[in-house]
Amino acid sequence: MRPLARAYGRGLWEARAVLGYTILLSLTLFIVAPFLMIALRSVGKGWFGKLWLPPQLTLEWYRWAIEVGNIPEVLRNTVIIGVIAVAISTTIGLFAGWAFGRRRLPGKELLLAVFLLPLMIPSITYALGVARIFYALRLVDTHVGVALAHVAVCAPYAIMVLSATFEGLDERVLEAASVCGAGPVRRFFHVVLPLVMPGILASAIFTFTHSYNEFTLTLLTYGPHTVTLPVRTYLAVGDGYWEITSAMAVLMVAPSLLILALVQRRARPERLVGGFKGA
Amino acid sequence: MIELRGITARYGPVLANDRLDLVVHRGELLTLLGPSGCGKTTALRTLTGHVRPDEGRVLIDGRDVTDLPTHRRELGMVFQNFALFPHMTVRDNVGFPLMVRGVPAAERVTRVAEALRLVRLEGHADKQPRQLSGGQQQRVGLARALVYRPKVLLLDEPLSNLDAKLREEMRFEIRDVVTRLGITAVYVTHDQEEALALSDRIAIMHRGRIEQLGTPEDIYARPASRFVAEFVGLSSFLEGVVEGIAEDGMSVALGGGRVTVPALPGAAAGRRALLFVRPNEVELLPADAPQASGVLRARVEAVTYLGDRMDYRLRLEGGLALRVQQDGGARLAPGTSVRLRLPSGRVRALSVADT
Repeated sequence: MRPLARAYGRGLWEARAVLGYTILLSLTLFIVAPFLMIALRSVGKGWFGKLWLPPQLTLEWYRWAIEVGNIPEVLRNTVIIGVIAVAISTTIGLFAGWAFGRRRLPGKELLLAVFLLPLMIPSITYALGVARIFYALRLVDTHVGVALAHVAVCAPYAIMVLSATFEGLDERVLEAASVCGAGPVRRFFHVVLPLVMPGILASAIFTFTHSYNEFTLTLLTYGPHTVTLPVRTYLAVGDGYWEITSAMAVLMVAPSLLILALVQRRARPERLVGGFKGA
Repeated sequence: MIELRGITARYGPVLANDRLDLVVHRGELLTLLGPSGCGKTTALRTLTGHVRPDEGRVLIDGRDVTDLPTHRRELGMVFQNFALFPHMTVRDNVGFPLMVRGVPAAERVTRVAEALRLVRLEGHADKQPRQLSGGQQQRVGLARALVYRPKVLLLDEPLSNLDAKLREEMRFEIRDVVTRLGITAVYVTHDQEEALALSDRIAIMHRGRIEQLGTPEDIYARPASRFVAEFVGLSSFLEGVVEGIAEDGMSVALGGGRVTVPALPGAAAGRRALLFVRPNEVELLPADAPQASGVLRARVEAVTYLGDRMDYRLRLEGGLALRVQQDGGARLAPGTSVRLRLPSGRVRALSVADT
């Protein structure tokens, strides 16, 4: 190749690289920008008009959010509701997953579709029906009530993850255990449970995150004693204090990021979904 | 001692075992050999209790275990896909049957070490199964099956997932362990070479029934049916007409000559006989060899070089085809006329039928 052509070729390659990185960076900014905006606003003071950056930094809004917004109690509600929703969803998921994943079930496809229905119906439609029933049953403004509403959208995830987990469980390993002399109870505790544990963990993380973020279903079933983080943040918007709302939003994101880091580091999601197969 | 009495097992319309009777003697290694779908796996699974037979009883050491669940049958088993517990170390895998039986931890340690020594895996106790090679994993499977000294060892195609060289090594290893422990073993395989190499007796299975039961020598040298002859070893089949029956056997005319073979019940002059011979037992003679009983004329149709031997496809007078394998020797070109001898005692009649 002649020098000129080579230089031209390299120039083209560099131009491509620049273009590629520009697109990637724009995409990243597009995703991150709103969050950056909120984060900046939550620590900025006197940030009005056409200023590019806040003139003064402060943590005052966080103090306001925690004290006035009552964040500790709201966080407690959110976690309690999340834990109840996880417990119920995982239990449902275990039984349904066992049935879907292990046994040849007549009408399996149809049943699975029914279980996944709450994910297809718009949340608000579903929430209206749930609220109507919960008022009658006096479940509104109880932790269990809100959690039950969450289960409608959490359980399908648990069922999907755990069905895949049980499907991945090697039948012959269980047969090996029975030949080794293990009865049903020992088989369950020494072989089945340890092998599906990663799936259960994955399901718990998915469902908890879902419950933690759930807004629509909470909005129609919460009360003064069961305000959750998303609802509290939403209410703060109505109060008109953007800085405090921003601080709340940032506080709300923190646990989500923590869970994400945990999943990425410790559990390796690709190994969680589907459990592991025999060696 | 293991006994299957009139086992019938159906999967829907499929008859997997058809009134199967089988006795495995104490300390013997018996192989269930047959093509896939012959019912050998079902027979094994009725033994383990994973299949409940529609009819028949299963006895182990004289005790009827037909209604006993698998975990109370006191078996050891080696699986085709190893079926190790992926979440346990090698030590815990091997120790599992002991743990289940409540053997105290101290004794467990010595017995696991003993079992691992038996399969030459002493240094691997703390590894995970996935860190081991296929052959090592299968040896862990063997150690796990033997660790609590069961009376019965079952092996379900244990070598099928290993590569050819390892398979041959493991064959001797398994044979050796079974002999040393004097354990009663049932081995399932579709590999006839494997079956011949390590069995005390072989049961050839076909369509849910036992087609022939005997020592490897019996099965190979004296197959009871065309199916057995075809399934075990190479075979050539020849059809001739019975000419007469004498004291030394019946004389059968075929391909422009005649051979004398042991007489079959029901044989009579004029009936057709199906003869069988192993390709490597046919002797090739020069074209000018003297005519005699058992000597036939043929032409070479095709020749294949197989390294240690030559494979000839011959056409006899009258159109019958015959396959012959010879060690070394000159390569005969296609079209060459030859004579061949079917040595008496090596040719056998499998069946007679009317024309």
